[in-house]
Amino acid sequence: MTAFPPVFFTVDHGTASTAAALIVSVGGRFRLTGSGAQPAGVPVEPLLTGLAAEVRALDAGLLAGVTSPPLEWRRIESATRTPPRAVVCGASSASASAAEAAVASSGWKIVGRVGPDRGQAGIGTQHCLDPDVELIVVAAGDPLGKGEREGLANLVNLVAAALDRRDDGVDVLLLGGAATSAAALPGERVVLGPAAATEPDAAPHPLLALLQTLAAAHRDRIGGTSGRPDGRRALIAATRSLAIRLDRRVELVDIGASAGLRVLADSFGLRGSMVWADAALVPPEVIDDDRSADQVLEWSTIHADQASLRDRVRNLALAPWRGVAGDGSRLRLAAARSALSRLDAAWHLPDEGDRPADYGADLLVASGGAFAVAPAPAVAMALLDTLRRPGSKALALDHARILGPLGGLDDEDERGRLLDDLYEDALVPLGSVIVATGLRAGRHLDALRLTTSDGATSQLELVPSAVQLVDLPPGVAATAELTTRDGAWLGVRARHFAVAVVGGLGGLLVDTREFPLRLPERPERRRDLLDAWQRPLWAGADL
Amino acid sequence: MSEVLAAAERAWDPADLVAAAASPHSAPRLRIRMGVGDRPLVGLGELVFAGDAVVQRLRDPVVEEVRLGRHPAPPAGTLVEAGVPLAGLRRPAPRFAAGGRTLHVTPGGVLRAVTARHTETVHAPAAGKVEALGPAGVTIRADAIGVGGVLAIGDPTFGRLVIAVRRPEDELPLPEINVGAAGAILVAGARIDVEALTRARAMGVRGVIVGGVVGRDLRSFAASEARQRASFHTSQSFALLVLDGFGKRPIPPLAWALLLAADGGDVGISSDPPMVLLDAATVAATAFADRVRVVADEALGRTGRVVEIVGRRRLPAGAMAMVARVALDGAGPGRSPEERLIPLADLERLEP
Repeated sequence: MTAFPPVFFTVDHGTASTAAALIVSVGGRFRLTGSGAQPAGVPVEPLLTGLAAEVRALDAGLLAGVTSPPLEWRRIESATRTPPRAVVCGASSASASAAEAAVASSGWKIVGRVGPDRGQAGIGTQHCLDPDVELIVVAAGDPLGKGEREGLANLVNLVAAALDRRDDGVDVLLLGGAATSAAALPGERVVLGPAAATEPDAAPHPLLALLQTLAAAHRDRIGGTSGRPDGRRALIAATRSLAIRLDRRVELVDIGASAGLRVLADSFGLRGSMVWADAALVPPEVIDDDRSADQVLEWSTIHADQASLRDRVRNLALAPWRGVAGDGSRLRLAAARSALSRLDAAWHLPDEGDRPADYGADLLVASGGAFAVAPAPAVAMALLDTLRRPGSKALALDHARILGPLGGLDDEDERGRLLDDLYEDALVPLGSVIVATGLRAGRHLDALRLTTSDGATSQLELVPSAVQLVDLPPGVAATAELTTRDGAWLGVRARHFAVAVVGGLGGLLVDTREFPLRLPERPERRRDLLDAWQRPLWAGADL
Repeated sequence: MSEVLAAAERAWDPADLVAAAASPHSAPRLRIRMGVGDRPLVGLGELVFAGDAVVQRLRDPVVEEVRLGRHPAPPAGTLVEAGVPLAGLRRPAPRFAAGGRTLHVTPGGVLRAVTARHTETVHAPAAGKVEALGPAGVTIRADAIGVGGVLAIGDPTFGRLVIAVRRPEDELPLPEINVGAAGAILVAGARIDVEALTRARAMGVRGVIVGGVVGRDLRSFAASEARQRASFHTSQSFALLVLDGFGKRPIPPLAWALLLAADGGDVGISSDPPMVLLDAATVAATAFADRVRVVADEALGRTGRVVEIVGRRRLPAGAMAMVARVALDGAGPGRSPEERLIPLADLERLEP
């Protein structure tokens, strides 16, 4: 294992912003001493020097033993880039849909869908000739489905003709029964893969691994991350390591400018992962498509005319780091909510034997530029609104974005040692959430009794269909006991529950709203309701 | 040790934390996209001048099929002419009703091609050299400097530059768009609406450059353009270039200075990447040393100078961010010089 120097930087190069943190060994333990972020494209050196100056101004003793200037200190880096683009050609609509789901969940942006019909021959060839398309996927069932044989032959001829005209080399992935047509295509870039499952999920499987490998190979070919580890793969590795170190089920969501990521791991390893280009903070489609912009605005609490708000969403897509104050912060978090809800809609885990899939997690970590400039309690509420499932969990924020750089370290022991030292500094505790559904309004009052580790108790009357905020400061552990007359649903139905919770900047959020959450159709009512739920969590903010 | 750190801090300029505005591109690469049936009218390495025809584009292309019979399949992408037997095949060779390009042969021996009865021409927006030629487009290395924008709609175009507003934050009044502007590329200030765009198009204006545009107007104009293209009336090329974003946004100072310097001369608008192409010798008359511009929120478009980096501050709505004290200029009606705290993320340096 490499010995780490007593002082080093972590740098996460995102597609829209760069985050850096200064790590210093204090009393034999690495501590996070300062962090900052700036728009991508700005040289990182002034940020690093500024961090060193800030830390020295705060406590000169921390850097007392350092003999070299900051720009010579070691940097642990990771970098993400815009997802590569793919076209999916399906011999049947079922094969195409299954392949699309698999391709989209492995970090590719699907820019075209092609069927075997005559009407799609022109546009299909156009997609396959597009030099910006880096992968052509031809999908069919295995064995070939009814009517797929002719469609597949048509598609293969279309792709072969397009490849004849392209001289820049593009990968062609033949899935399932499409592999039988491999001989009809130029061999250098043809890759064979298994048929995509009809209902694909995020669990590790060979096709997902193959698609991720192709994406990584493409990234290496173009040098997109300048030799730095890929930030999204690094976050997956960091989540796995964190789950092992904490011996907990850990879930991580990362919302960036070009894609969203979701990972679930436990002490046995990775349970599921998904890189979803359509879960970017603001999808590029908003520029041309009002409906895409309106999907973002469904989560907005800002009062203004729809045309102006759409333009604000478009400006957010053009420059995601701008407009950090006032309504800009609320709009960014509305976009983050929209991205999280898209990510959640695409997130499926396989059943475990005869039991349904377990989506639960002990700890949910948020990461990415989307959460960089929002108040911590508001981030907690955004996670609750969009990723809610009955039960309880703790929430945390990777505020300095150091999990990516740490996850990029090849050596698991090295990564684990740094995580052991740093996870408390790196993960800002946002608090805990309890989602309890099925409460009924009536004469009999349901209640929550909170007993902290130091013996203090408090009681709260549970209000059905509401979000209640209970003060529970960071560092305080407690037991929450829910007592109901008619029972509640927290993953199981019972009248009495006792769950362990931890405090955070957002305290304890008790959510008794219906599951799944249904919001009013009318924009004004929807906005008012969202505002009512969110307002207490922007406490102290000038709204 | 503290000497080492102190020396590093002395060499550190906090203003470096502010992102620099995009610089003009020297000799930019321009891509002119082609559809599957389009044909290039230039060769690799060929020199082109602004206005030269570079691509012949199919209008309203359709997929046509002919049965090949025993004839061998022509190579994919073979050009076909309306009613002319396919070259190289024995008579009676199959023929298509309209001109275009072959796509592929189906397993049943049917040759597909994308064809159209009408074509239109795409012109080079600037002089340059054809650097790449492929089935999806032509790339020209322009002999110009390019001032980048965020969005362009329409085809590449060129014309005489006319600054039609007095200040970058002004808007172009509708009556000032008249036949006198035919053939020109108008600089229309901070915003243009769909009525002005439609009028400009009707008056023969070749292009419009603005700081911002309202998305709704853009959508209406795009629909109007699509309707015009669907008609049999052939119109000259027209492009709208948006320099800074959506809504009302003053033209950025460096772009404004360069446009002023190019006023009256020939310029082009490229749609991929979106940029205005100026004569390579164009030099801005204004220097912007240590100047910054506000790029978001209520002080949008105002310029000034960073007085100091204040540090991390809690902003309205509760977010924490690095903030600078900025002395804003008093230029413009109703605007007096003032100092404000502005997040670094909402600033950009006007000179790298």
